[in-house]
Amino acid sequence: MKTLLIAGMAAASLASFAASAEVSDQVIKNAFGLYDGGTLKAAGFEPGVKINKENADKFKDIMDPFTARYVKQGWFEIQTTPSFSLPQNANYIKQTKQNADKVSLTPDGMLANFTAGRPFPQEPNASDPQAGLKLMWNFQRSINAGDSETIHPFWWTFRNTKTGQTERQLRFEWHFLNWKHRVMFEPMPDIQPNPANIFRSIYSIVLEPFDLSNTQLLIHRYENDLQRDDGWLYLGFQRRVRRLAVGQITDAFLGTDAMIEDFEGYNGRLSDYKWTYKGTQNILMPYEKHDEQPVLDTEPAGDKDGFKFVKFGGQGNCFPQVTWQLRKSYIIEGNPKDPNHPLSKRLIFMDSESATLPVVLLYDKKGTPWKYFPICKSHSDHHLAKNKGVGVAIDDCALFFDEQAMHCTTLQFKSYINPEQNPSTQFNVQNLRKTGR
Amino acid sequence: MTLTLAGRFVRRSHWLLASAISLGLATPALAEWKSDDGTLEVRGFVDDTMIVRDEIGLTKQRVQGQLEFYKTLPASGMFSSFAIGGIVRASYDAAFDLNDDEFGNKAGGSLSYFMPGNPPFFSYITGGSPPFTPPTNIVYAGTFGPDGSGANGAIPLPGTLGTINSPGNPNQGLRFAAGDIYNYSDGGVMLATPVRPCDKDARGCLENYMDKDLNDLRYKEFNSDWDWLREFYIDTSIPTTDSGQELSLRIGRQQVVWGRTDLFRVLDVVNPMDFSRENLYAEFEDSRIPQWMINAEYRVGPTKWLEDLNFQLIYKIEDFRPHDLGQGGEPYAILGAGNLFRAMANCWDNGCTVGNFPGPGVAVDFPAHSIGIREVDLPNHTEIGGRIEGVWKGVGFSLNALYFYSQFPSLRGGIPTDDPFTPGVEAVFHPYDIAFDVEFPRLFMMGGSADWYSEAAKASFRIETSYTQDEEFADTSKPKLYSESDVFRAVFGFDRPTFIRFLNNDRAFLISGQIFYQRLLDHETYNVNSVGLPTFDKIGFMDWESNVLLTLLIQANYMNDRLTPQIITAFDTKAEAGVIGPSLEYKPNNNWVFKLALNLKWGSNHGAIPADDDRTANAFPPATCAPPLAMGGSPLCGAPYSSFGGPYGFEPLGRFRSGPIGTAYNEDEVQFSLRYQF
Repeated sequence: MKTLLIAGMAAASLASFAASAEVSDQVIKNAFGLYDGGTLKAAGFEPGVKINKENADKFKDIMDPFTARYVKQGWFEIQTTPSFSLPQNANYIKQTKQNADKVSLTPDGMLANFTAGRPFPQEPNASDPQAGLKLMWNFQRSINAGDSETIHPFWWTFRNTKTGQTERQLRFEWHFLNWKHRVMFEPMPDIQPNPANIFRSIYSIVLEPFDLSNTQLLIHRYENDLQRDDGWLYLGFQRRVRRLAVGQITDAFLGTDAMIEDFEGYNGRLSDYKWTYKGTQNILMPYEKHDEQPVLDTEPAGDKDGFKFVKFGGQGNCFPQVTWQLRKSYIIEGNPKDPNHPLSKRLIFMDSESATLPVVLLYDKKGTPWKYFPICKSHSDHHLAKNKGVGVAIDDCALFFDEQAMHCTTLQFKSYINPEQNPSTQFNVQNLRKTGR
Repeated sequence: MTLTLAGRFVRRSHWLLASAISLGLATPALAEWKSDDGTLEVRGFVDDTMIVRDEIGLTKQRVQGQLEFYKTLPASGMFSSFAIGGIVRASYDAAFDLNDDEFGNKAGGSLSYFMPGNPPFFSYITGGSPPFTPPTNIVYAGTFGPDGSGANGAIPLPGTLGTINSPGNPNQGLRFAAGDIYNYSDGGVMLATPVRPCDKDARGCLENYMDKDLNDLRYKEFNSDWDWLREFYIDTSIPTTDSGQELSLRIGRQQVVWGRTDLFRVLDVVNPMDFSRENLYAEFEDSRIPQWMINAEYRVGPTKWLEDLNFQLIYKIEDFRPHDLGQGGEPYAILGAGNLFRAMANCWDNGCTVGNFPGPGVAVDFPAHSIGIREVDLPNHTEIGGRIEGVWKGVGFSLNALYFYSQFPSLRGGIPTDDPFTPGVEAVFHPYDIAFDVEFPRLFMMGGSADWYSEAAKASFRIETSYTQDEEFADTSKPKLYSESDVFRAVFGFDRPTFIRFLNNDRAFLISGQIFYQRLLDHETYNVNSVGLPTFDKIGFMDWESNVLLTLLIQANYMNDRLTPQIITAFDTKAEAGVIGPSLEYKPNNNWVFKLALNLKWGSNHGAIPADDDRTANAFPPATCAPPLAMGGSPLCGAPYSSFGGPYGFEPLGRFRSGPIGTAYNEDEVQFSLRYQF
């Protein structure tokens, strides 16, 4: 009896210790408060300078290799601004502080003891063989799109980079929902019932052009990263839901220059890649304040809120005309485990503050540069008024550029972090049928 | 597979393509129109489709416009949403004017049954003392009635009163009912069908079923069913719980899609189909016939055990509509049923000449009301169905039930007919007589489906099964020449995006295959006839007891999905007939779509498979008693008995064995379409 009592007391004590263990303030400040003291600096770089083909060499050390090459070739110019913080949602930071010290990786690379927040806010250690994977978990559990996000309208434009000709333009509506680990909107932390243990769902519908209109995509990503996503496609011309063979995520999506795997920088199972942390570097990233952009596009016009989209210009009108700033980034190299994968390498420059992926470079099977995916993020207080204070780096624009084919798909977003337009009932198969006409 | 017109067609296509592209470049791009408040969306297209059939010429030259609208209205009271949606479609098919000697007012012609007469034989089998007018042309015995010169070689039966020719049934505007697929060289029964639009030639037109006039054919949507208003419905939802459960209603003319299959249907049978649009090969969305229905769904959503759960009830509030199979003389008439029905209906109404009857080498004139199709009975009672659908552990599933009427017709014999051999014996049931009413039997179908993804195969799979009670099939062993049978159908299909890197490094090919299985559970055939005499071939059900159809789709995409080559093929294993449809679609921008396609068929039987044609049945004893029995003075001659199963011919039941692919054996086509969409 006495032994049992001691054991019980010990267990209670451990539980109490575990419950009270928190990540240190220094770790939290390092992860989320880097820009509180002002802008980042780099030798020879003064925020506000415009980088173009004449001075590109001078700044090549603060640009990723693809951006540096494109600017050097004169394909586009970069207007820089001082760095500023994109403050992350306060509860996300709080959950990180309360829970991150308990989180670990299982032998097969899955998260253990994770509740909410950033799983691994600590600075990556180059000697840790799992450092790259931990960083990617930080991305997977980031608030990249908040707990739920609507992007509508969402314009995807196919362009010939050589000629600038616009070939097709798709108008989408996209919705994102986190079923678990929620930090912004009730219910928190999880939506119930969730019998399949879905972590996150993506729903999109094509509104234009006519031949694709009513095409809807639903993807469920499961909490268990080893479990393959499930996907359904509603085809307007068939009026029925078709089960997607989701394993083929390296297929180009609806003819764009993006693979399904490329959404948001990486849209697949972490277990499909070997991730290696390659170092930390301050580089330029397309992080900006939407309402302070020197130029915005007049097309597509007619937004009912008067919203103007990010403008694209440069070679073939493929490159976003937004301001860039110096950001602390973690460089992660991902190598696909599948020998038939079309990539040899996915080189990611992760923003340390938001754990999002604003610059992603793809190399083909031979190791030759292939595709370039910058994703612009706006400060949420400088975007739509209704995004003010949400604490999410707002998706503002993106580019999928295939430099081998000299073809690009440009993405113009009108993003809105909100729960009202993203009810869980929107993320089931029946909704595809309901919405399809 | 020969395409003698292909060259001419391609030259014309080039001209059209160049014109269209020029026009496209000169035309301001239009996009979906949306009202200022965003509550009304309108989009649509205008297109032109030209199809040329080998040795026939133009089968379709259709200009079509479609507008789709959706108006969201303010929600109020217990309703959380409220909207009105619809689709308006109008078209004009110039093929009926440009190719009017094939499909319009000049279609068809006069017919001759090129077969030597055999009056001694015929007089012998009818008792040895012919009361009949002997053929006037002993070399070529049959024409479709005398043309006024008295040059009739067919043997008129007594009831014809010497001639079937009358001002109402002239030898003009006719074709052999199976002439497009079958050359009658095996001595099969020959029937002639009127082929002109029903306002030009009303013979054989079946009221409210196969009775299209020229304008119905040219302006397909402007008919008495108001098909121009393709869809028109009200959508509304009533929340029932705070967790998102809701009752959703769609009331109005609509399509309800149940199936998971392509090209052929198993569960997707709520709406009838318009096969006259383009046989099997139009998109289901375009060829389904929308109907007025109440469609109620209770959306439960996720539950403790299921990722998704939904209940659906449908109730049709429109009169029954069968499939549109195409009528006699229409370019797209699946199974050739339109030709057969019109030929038979004309036989009933006016009498007709039947070649190779009662055996090869003889043509006879049947009087009215002895053989043929008398009338069509369109039912008008409730059709109702329900479905439970959900997702369990990643597997999508449905359980379906539908209480409805067969959308395919059934030929029910047993109607009162006149004995053509015995004047005065009228309006009595003659067992085994090929005289029918067209009926649409009441059916009950239940079934289910599932789909799932396999990581190992990197493919998604789907299965679909149905069990239908009391479908009706032709059965030559039964006095009324039909039987009921329960039917089991199943399909197994897969979709696999597959990279073929040397052909396309960026974009996977979609490879999609399906295996369809059908089994008639009460199928019966016999080697003896109804009086126990051995038959030459099997009698009974002429449709296959079981059959397997295979389909395969391979689709590629180039130029960022703006150039889409595709091959779709299907094969009917019992009919040994197949179709392959390569196509190339090009979308230069958001507004224009060009498509060039071939539709080619092949078959080991040239499409025509013989079946028991009931010629040897003793439907009108003793006149139709088999000669050996008659010569032997058999008492069996005095009562009706069923067929001996021989000789076999394609008409009328072989078409159901050849199936929709086999019966289209000679319909090789080149297709070109251009569309402006917004």
